[in-house]
Amino acid sequence: MNPVRVAFAVTRKDIRSEWRTREMVPALAQFVVLALVIANFGFQIDSRNAPSIAPGILWMALVFAGLVAFGRTFAAEREQASLEAVLMTPASPVAIFAGKAMAATILLVVCEAVMLPAMSLFFGTPFSAAVVGAVLLATIGMAALGCMFAAIVARIRARELLLPLLTLPLWIPFVIAGGQAVQSAMGLSGGYDNAMALLLDFDILFVVLTSLAARFVLDE
Amino acid sequence: MSFVVANALTHRFGHEVALDSVDLVLDSGEHMAVLGENGAGKTTLLRIIATALRPTSGKLEIGGLDGFHERRRLRGYIGFVAHAVGLYPALSAVENLEFFCDLYDVSHVRADEALETVGLAAEGQKAASDLSRGMQQRLAIARAILHNPRLLVLDEPDASLGADAADVLGRVMHGRTVVLSTHDHALASRLCPRTLVLRHGRSVGTATHLRVVR
Repeated sequence: MNPVRVAFAVTRKDIRSEWRTREMVPALAQFVVLALVIANFGFQIDSRNAPSIAPGILWMALVFAGLVAFGRTFAAEREQASLEAVLMTPASPVAIFAGKAMAATILLVVCEAVMLPAMSLFFGTPFSAAVVGAVLLATIGMAALGCMFAAIVARIRARELLLPLLTLPLWIPFVIAGGQAVQSAMGLSGGYDNAMALLLDFDILFVVLTSLAARFVLDE
Repeated sequence: MSFVVANALTHRFGHEVALDSVDLVLDSGEHMAVLGENGAGKTTLLRIIATALRPTSGKLEIGGLDGFHERRRLRGYIGFVAHAVGLYPALSAVENLEFFCDLYDVSHVRADEALETVGLAAEGQKAASDLSRGMQQRLAIARAILHNPRLLVLDEPDASLGADAADVLGRVMHGRTVVLSTHDHALASRLCPRTLVLRHGRSVGTATHLRVVR
């Protein structure tokens, strides 16, 4: 049993399903753009304060979009009872988890691809490789954690309430380091390299931890 | 030679006893029907045999392997059709099966063969959501035989399957050890030489061609 083949099969299946139904990405993209519009009217943002305010808005919108994206990854499988069929195969639960996490990451990255240019348009902040790199690096670790908790709460009735309660505290390090990296990339003083190194450390830590835990979470 | 050996299988949901000390021995290639009223424990027993559920107590051995400690390995030998079809509605019938071919590590050719076996070859390109309930059930059965399992566990597979249910099931059961639950006694009698009757979670007897032995 090739775990890489399994993981890619799961990712392909999730992306194909999303492509056919267009259930999540249009709604999420709309949500992040609306969040920017509201922030645009809610804050008095100009060229001087944009680098300090815009990263906060970016991470707020991403965190809430992420909760929706990762929450649906396992909830939909539970609702249509397909997760049991998947787990009844000899495929490794870790590979299945990795596939689901990759698919959710891709969907969130698509939303980010809408959000970052929109932010640049609304707030006049730079849309640079440094900003994109920081957001992508944070997305990996956030996806691993989000999917893990989504798998845990998927079988619970109050999952919409529990997922943020479990996930948000562990996303705080990503928001802090990611916020610092994006602020620095937008021109404020600060250690971009240090923040990126911290994000990388968090990614490695949480990807390893969630991979180890996936076996116990999915193998009921 | 005994292929499935279950000893004193018991399962509780909280204080509710769903299955109470059920014993079962099934030879290789043997077909057994599990009968009983709603809530008798049929689904619980089948889920335990399929390794989808851990019993509260008892022992299960399938093909000489421990049913609980070697679950992942055993799943390569077990095909399970559960109550819910568990398909991906946005994917076509073929895509649903090809996805599971990847998980079972078998060639995609098996998807077409399985569709042919359950009589769905002409519907392969249709989205699962566009199939009738009976066709979805056939697709779920096709998924269960993709990896050519030695043990087939079928939980009320005849539900909404249509007039040729016995023919379809007869084809997929051929050459395999089968545990099947159903409310249709005529179907059970036609497909399974042995019957296990459950009542309130307890085995009230086994029978050959529905002649109950107490």
